[in-house]
Amino acid sequence: MKPERWQQISRIFNRAILLDAAARSAYVKENCGADSDLQAEIEKLIESHQQAEGDDFIGGLAVEDVAEHFSEADEELALQKGRQFGNYLILDHLGTGGMGEVYLAKDSRLDRTVALKILASDVVADKQRMQRFSQEAKVASSLNQPNILTIYEFGEVDTLTFIAAEFVDGETLRDYIRAKRLKLVEILDIGIQMLAALDAAHEASIVHRDMKPENVMIRKRDHVVKVLDFGLAKVTEQKRGSDAVTAEQVLSEFKTAPGLIMGTVNYMSPEQALGKPVDARSDIWSSGIIIYEMVAGTTPFRGSTSAHTIVQILEKQPASLTHSVGVPPELQRIVDKSIAKDADERYQTAKDMLIDLRNLRRRLDLDAEIERSSAAVTVEYAQPARTAEPVATETSKENYALVVALIAIVASLVAVFAVNTWRSTRNRPVVPPPAPIVSTPGRTLTYWITVQKFKDGRAYQEPFDISGEINFEIDYQIRLSVRSPQPGYLYILNEGPETAATAPEYVVVFPSSTANNGSEYITANQRIQIPDQSWLKFDKEQGVEKLWLVFGENPLPELEGIRAFANRQSRGLITDAQLNTSVKSFLTAHSANQVGHEKGDTLTTLTSSEKVLVYPIKLEHH
Amino acid sequence: MKQFVPMKKDPPRQEHQITQLLAEWREGNQAALDELYPLVYDELHRLARRYMSRERKGHTLQTTALINEAYVRLIDQRNVQWANRSHFFAISAQIMRRILIDHARRHAYAKRGGGARQVSLDETATVIHEDLAEFLRLDEALKSLAELDPRRSQVVELKYFGGLNNDEIAGVLKISKNTVIRDWNMARAWLHSQLAGSASN
Repeated sequence: MKPERWQQISRIFNRAILLDAAARSAYVKENCGADSDLQAEIEKLIESHQQAEGDDFIGGLAVEDVAEHFSEADEELALQKGRQFGNYLILDHLGTGGMGEVYLAKDSRLDRTVALKILASDVVADKQRMQRFSQEAKVASSLNQPNILTIYEFGEVDTLTFIAAEFVDGETLRDYIRAKRLKLVEILDIGIQMLAALDAAHEASIVHRDMKPENVMIRKRDHVVKVLDFGLAKVTEQKRGSDAVTAEQVLSEFKTAPGLIMGTVNYMSPEQALGKPVDARSDIWSSGIIIYEMVAGTTPFRGSTSAHTIVQILEKQPASLTHSVGVPPELQRIVDKSIAKDADERYQTAKDMLIDLRNLRRRLDLDAEIERSSAAVTVEYAQPARTAEPVATETSKENYALVVALIAIVASLVAVFAVNTWRSTRNRPVVPPPAPIVSTPGRTLTYWITVQKFKDGRAYQEPFDISGEINFEIDYQIRLSVRSPQPGYLYILNEGPETAATAPEYVVVFPSSTANNGSEYITANQRIQIPDQSWLKFDKEQGVEKLWLVFGENPLPELEGIRAFANRQSRGLITDAQLNTSVKSFLTAHSANQVGHEKGDTLTTLTSSEKVLVYPIKLEHH
Repeated sequence: MKQFVPMKKDPPRQEHQITQLLAEWREGNQAALDELYPLVYDELHRLARRYMSRERKGHTLQTTALINEAYVRLIDQRNVQWANRSHFFAISAQIMRRILIDHARRHAYAKRGGGARQVSLDETATVIHEDLAEFLRLDEALKSLAELDPRRSQVVELKYFGGLNNDEIAGVLKISKNTVIRDWNMARAWLHSQLAGSASN
């Protein structure tokens, strides 16, 4: 923009905002004359000005706006490893939450490993509330419900208040859904266990008040769900000076203390947001939001600020879930009923919601049963519907209804294909079968790449599928999807742009510690998407990236060693030079084999007559 | 962008030196600013960390108080003119912005492996905290504004990052208070429209 233009805009703008609405519009029009661009620009600025005033945009201080994140990163821990703390020996720091720091510790009296939570000083300040919390937590724990975290001890050592609880070796639901997209059955299993915990607690008149993915743990060994921190929310609940009853009042309260409620509003029920008394039905709301998030990947109400989120919680109708892949209408109904704005229209008890979730789960099991009984037929006819593949996985509402209807009639060939499509979106334990049922000569593998454009760190435009090599821009982010009509062992490695100086380095993309239960074995027609939820991003180094696809009929001993590097800590990079070399020679040797290459609009099908297919997808980026 | 790397120069704080540098800078010596910058950065960073640490969670943060404390610590109070204080605040605002942006960036990308290894393809942290992302976008927009209109971007820097009030800003920039208010309105509206634009795309 030319400086004169800018000056002109600011002159008119600054005068205009001093006028009242009616005079303002006339003033702008008069001063812009025939220059409609100028007028539009100024009107846009005036609108922004009003919004900025309304939102109190940058009205505070920068340091306050980011203070919370500062304290997260730079805090010093209260306890060090190896320290004896009362009867507990501190083994490790597990994490820090809003309520305090959590340590892994050993109870020397019982020789038992526990999770030790040191409550933050501001949490324990109110003795009366602490008292009530400890009572509630003890009651919840004493219910002996397997999905409620067991609390062993409340205590105080060196002026620090602590809770010693059952140690759950696993991750929070937050991390769990961040790492992978959950399958429907898994979502239901988690939902059922959450509701079972709430049902037991509600029976004992205990309301959780702060159900959110951070307070739900998934145990690694058996995927058992544990709900944490019953009653703790009561301690930190904000005291409201007055009973705010309108959205405006609530908003103005939140604006005056935005930091106080950060991070928790997304799961807050309307009555909670309004500061009204909450009961069990508020927990039901929050559980509904969590289930919604597990399905859609995001919570239904999300504003740019906490205040905006609250407005949405109070007023907005959530987007339908059935846009997501393979969501049965019954699940939509359950979620809708759990997040009715009016608590009277919600499930009135956790038990009712639990029953509906269990019934749906049982129905899916039944479907799977029918599906399995037709599996023998499936294998022979399961040809990939090539050009339609990516679309076919989008099991829509109608498709689902169709599938159910067809299963009910007879497992005809048409139905078998439909069932198969539906099955591919479902979680089934990935166990290599003792022997392949059908052994086709050679290997076939189909892949496509989904591209998402990004601008200023945000996704823009809809993602689109392509069949392979185009020139990628630096701000394109991609996902790779792979599927084969045959079962087999899949490995995917990334090789960075060649540099003259160094040997190529490989990054293990698949198998990964999270996707496909960590297994390299994929079943026929199973779709593997990498990464599961986020995107692959190009780094600044220009050139040609290779994504090596390796698909074997049998496990490949040459690549066995890469599994050790397939984890998040090393970010998949193979740091063992010897292994790097042997991977390189394996890829080089096999890529000499002929690979058929059939490229469609949105997907490419590779074929090889060998027992192992090796193919580099080349991604050029600038 | 010129990457600023704080010098690893620990105290003893050279009060006199800083006071001297500040005076030189005010008289137009830009080289003095380059020397001043890392000294003030270290001090402010240290203070900011302390101010924002857990123990003080829930306390109201006052940038002004923070910079004041840095000022008291760094500047030799005996030979200082009042005007120096405004200038100290001006440079501190700039530095606070740097500190907060550095921090926001580090924190936002911590999930991506912290740059420990050069890996070609990387899983983007989809979980970059929205506030931090928003904050970084604001910084970018402010840079664009500086190209378009340096003075207005300075007003935002002094107010939002430095915590200066309109009178102080007027003093530092040698403009009237009314101009400060007008500049602020225009700059804020423009920044808001820029952020709203990038968010809706």
